Amino acid sequence: MKKIIKNPYLHFVLLGLILALVPTLAKMGLMKTSYLTTLGGTFIFAIAALGLNILLGYSGLISLGTAGFMGFAAYLSAYFTADLALPFELSIILAVVIPTLLGILVGLVSLKIEGIYLAIATLAVSEILKKTFEEFDFFTNGFSGKTAQYPTLLGTFELDRAGTYYFVVAILILVMLLTYNLMNGRLGRALNAMRGSEAASQAMGVNLLNHRLIAFALATMYAAIAGVLYVHFVKYSYPTIWSLNLSLNFLAMIVIGGLRSIYGTLLGAFIVFAVPDLLLKQVPFFSDLSYVLNGILIIVVIIFYPNGLVHMFTDLKRFIVKLVKGEK
Amino acid sequence: MKRSMKVLKRLKALQSSFSYEKTLDEVNILSTFIQVILRSLETGSIYALAALSIIIIFRTSNIVNFSQGAVAMFNTFVVTYLFNTMGINIWLAALGGIVSAILIGILIDLVVIRHTKKVHPEAKQIITLGMIMIVLGIAPLIFGVDPLRLPRLIEQGNLSILGADISYNGIFNILFGLLVMGGLFVILQKTKIGLAIRSTASNEHTAKLMGVPTKTVTMGAWAVAGVLGVISGVMTAPMTSVTLHIMDDVQLNALIAVVLGGFQTFYGPVVGAYIIGVGRNLLLYYGSSVWGGQILYILILVFLVFRPHGLFGKKIIKKV
Repeated sequence: MKKIIKNPYLHFVLLGLILALVPTLAKMGLMKTSYLTTLGGTFIFAIAALGLNILLGYSGLISLGTAGFMGFAAYLSAYFTADLALPFELSIILAVVIPTLLGILVGLVSLKIEGIYLAIATLAVSEILKKTFEEFDFFTNGFSGKTAQYPTLLGTFELDRAGTYYFVVAILILVMLLTYNLMNGRLGRALNAMRGSEAASQAMGVNLLNHRLIAFALATMYAAIAGVLYVHFVKYSYPTIWSLNLSLNFLAMIVIGGLRSIYGTLLGAFIVFAVPDLLLKQVPFFSDLSYVLNGILIIVVIIFYPNGLVHMFTDLKRFIVKLVKGEK
Repeated sequence: MKRSMKVLKRLKALQSSFSYEKTLDEVNILSTFIQVILRSLETGSIYALAALSIIIIFRTSNIVNFSQGAVAMFNTFVVTYLFNTMGINIWLAALGGIVSAILIGILIDLVVIRHTKKVHPEAKQIITLGMIMIVLGIAPLIFGVDPLRLPRLIEQGNLSILGADISYNGIFNILFGLLVMGGLFVILQKTKIGLAIRSTASNEHTAKLMGVPTKTVTMGAWAVAGVLGVISGVMTAPMTSVTLHIMDDVQLNALIAVVLGGFQTFYGPVVGAYIIGVGRNLLLYYGSSVWGGQILYILILVFLVFRPHGLFGKKIIKKV
């Protein structure tokens, strides 16, 4: 029994079921329906952030190009479904594969560069992509923005907003499971070793460039998945969305939530994207200041909780245990 | 930026209308070239000031300051507010902006940066991201959301050099940028303060042991960086309108300039910034008016593959 409860896969599925309750709660009137959009958006951003967490947390590389790749996938998917009328399944595969290939190409060129140099090199790539979104009218509709529809699964099931929300949650849980497996397998061990000492891991037979490339490709793939989901959930895409600020927000999410933590990434995404919308805007005086408060929150968390908020729960538990024992 | 593009376009039209007369054409090619170079030097000095501001922070606090542009934007708004709403003379308003830049720089250091000694290096950059959010949130509350106008420091007057026109303000920007940077480099290399900054930059711990007041040095660096930021902001403002995103483009090019020049020296990023300023305008004018900037980024990426640490950077050899 204990084994089943401790099973990590079960935790992910359970989390998925809880998250899937939100539309029902909204229907019952316990929650505003607008929360659905905010939460769905948060989960989509969490997927892209998970990819970045693999890259930064495990292999120690910073990318500021997440937004560019995400946008690229979003436009591709919108173009395939709306203009070429391809089935949703085919377009999602194409829209994920093409940016990933581009990511591998960029990775091959730029992974010889290290640290902050890589960050700004990927930023340059992202800016080039953003310019492409602005200029290629036939493909992206330029500044006026591209619209897309809710996905139609298997050609028959037309999803509405709640349906797409379920779809997003399902993909999120799948991505979390995939990440968990990858990071506890050979790849995760190799990346961990690389982070500890590049020379030592090389001596143990880990090919540095290969593993960095895999991590970079995974990050791009996750960003692409997030991009596709975004354009079909929010239903529009402007070039200005895919800017440096979004890439920086992804960084903020994983640092606040906790590096190398899957749940932490989700928590970080929730704090960066959902908290200003759901909580701070409800309080009258704070509504104008929500952005400011979020900034302050980020700084405070980093200074006082540098390992990420996800460790707060274990620390809290330890503290309570200590308190209880101390009283005895 | 937009304004310089417009001028370039007009020049192009002018050039094509003269193209049937060969002698005029030749003169025109030369004068256009000079015109493009002068424009580039002007944008180059804006980028260089911003890049210098980023590298000063990086060398003394080990932070890549993403909030440089946002803070510069805020201080530019202060100048605009002083000029438009309070009706103060533009030069005095600029001076007010510099004072506010110094105060904000000191404030950032005292309130935030001083407490981040134990923070993970990557997390430090995220702190500057938090500062962007704070600045972007506060600025519209104080200054409103409408785009504002800030005139040039020197309102009118054009100088003609071999048929190429440049405003006095443009010349002032080029010269003043060079002057400020030259002054800073003299201070860095020749004075005791400069020695303190350089020793803090090379090894903060040792510098502290040798009696260098590293805390004051870092605080000064944030103040100076703020001042450089507001100067570049005031130079940028007349070319466009003062909005929340006025410095985004400058910030991006400055960051890329720092990478191009390398993080190890103070002068590298400045050289990188001028290369970007000139290269970008040349590509925009003689290459593609839409894709020029992007082509330049690709060229820089290719360059980085061969020299991963930038023009003047050295590879730091790690011992196992």
